[in-house]
Amino acid sequence: MSESEVRRMNCDIDLKAYVVGESTRPERGAVENHLRGCQSCREELDRLNLTRSMLASLEDEEIPRRIAFVSDGVFEPRWWQTMWRSGPVMGFASAALLAAAIVVHGFERTPVVDTAQIEKQVESRVGARVQAAVNVAQAKQSAEFAKVLNATESRFESQRKSDLATVQQAAEYYEKQMARFEVASNQGAGQ
Amino acid sequence: MIFREVEDRDLIAKARRGQVEAYNVLVSRWEKRVFNYLLRLVGQREDALDLSQDVFLKAYQNLKKLDDPAKFPGWLFRIAHNEAYSLLRKNRPEGEMTVEPRMAESSGGMFPIESTLAVRSALARLSDDHREAVLLKVYQGFKFEEMAEILSCPVSTVKSRLYTALDLLKQTLAPVNTGGAK
Repeated sequence: MSESEVRRMNCDIDLKAYVVGESTRPERGAVENHLRGCQSCREELDRLNLTRSMLASLEDEEIPRRIAFVSDGVFEPRWWQTMWRSGPVMGFASAALLAAAIVVHGFERTPVVDTAQIEKQVESRVGARVQAAVNVAQAKQSAEFAKVLNATESRFESQRKSDLATVQQAAEYYEKQMARFEVASNQGAGQ
Repeated sequence: MIFREVEDRDLIAKARRGQVEAYNVLVSRWEKRVFNYLLRLVGQREDALDLSQDVFLKAYQNLKKLDDPAKFPGWLFRIAHNEAYSLLRKNRPEGEMTVEPRMAESSGGMFPIESTLAVRSALARLSDDHREAVLLKVYQGFKFEEMAEILSCPVSTVKSRLYTALDLLKQTLAPVNTGGAK
């Protein structure tokens, strides 16, 4: 910090606002009144003015290329923006679109659908699938039935054999008993 | 100046009604100021030119959002500020400062070309924020309140940035020990 700046620390004025033109009229009066009796602030003001004038010596450059104008196309609104902003054009476009839709609809040929044939095809396909399913079910049932029938026949045959054996045993038993009775009756008659 | 403001306001009203020629006049009236502000802020001529084009395109697209046509200059420079800072943020990592080689300390008895180089060098050594405060105040003549609106910050911040920048520039362009004070 310079000696001048140290001396200026007690000065209650805004010299920078004064230099850049931001002081009110009373503030400018106060600054100018102060400057008459303060050497340090006068020196500071000179330095600020010199800085300002040096900055102002820097001239503006010419723009190397003009900014594109609206008519150059860069700023031009898109076709749909132009149309959107224009009420009559938008109305006409809507009407034209509607008319075109009606005409197209009038000329459009709706495809003829033969529902009877479709029904026939569907019926045929469904019938075939049902028949196939029925065949599968029948085959399965036949196989199961044959299996059960075989098992039943087998069981019946074994039962029949068992019954025959029992009957045979009973017949043999009765024959033996009859033989015993006959022997006993013969012996009784002999006595 | 008053006539000029009225004319700008009239041109803006016409441009809003779709009269593109009115906007063309506005562009030709402001393009040099906007270009030089951007050139001194970003430092590259081509960048400044591209940014200027973008600024006027965005201004045209958003002209209907401008509440008060009398505030057109500040509004236009706010767009320019935003465009410039998006480029600066993209090109320069966070916190990195512009550093230029120091110029000769003496400024006494300089020729105009030396003076121009000295001023350019001194401006280039400032941070973006400090340089922009000088550009808006010294070169564009905006008031503190207008600068606060352009930069989206309080007036106290604007003053602080400008005063710091002036102190730094003063040390380079009007040093004490060389008898800069006249």
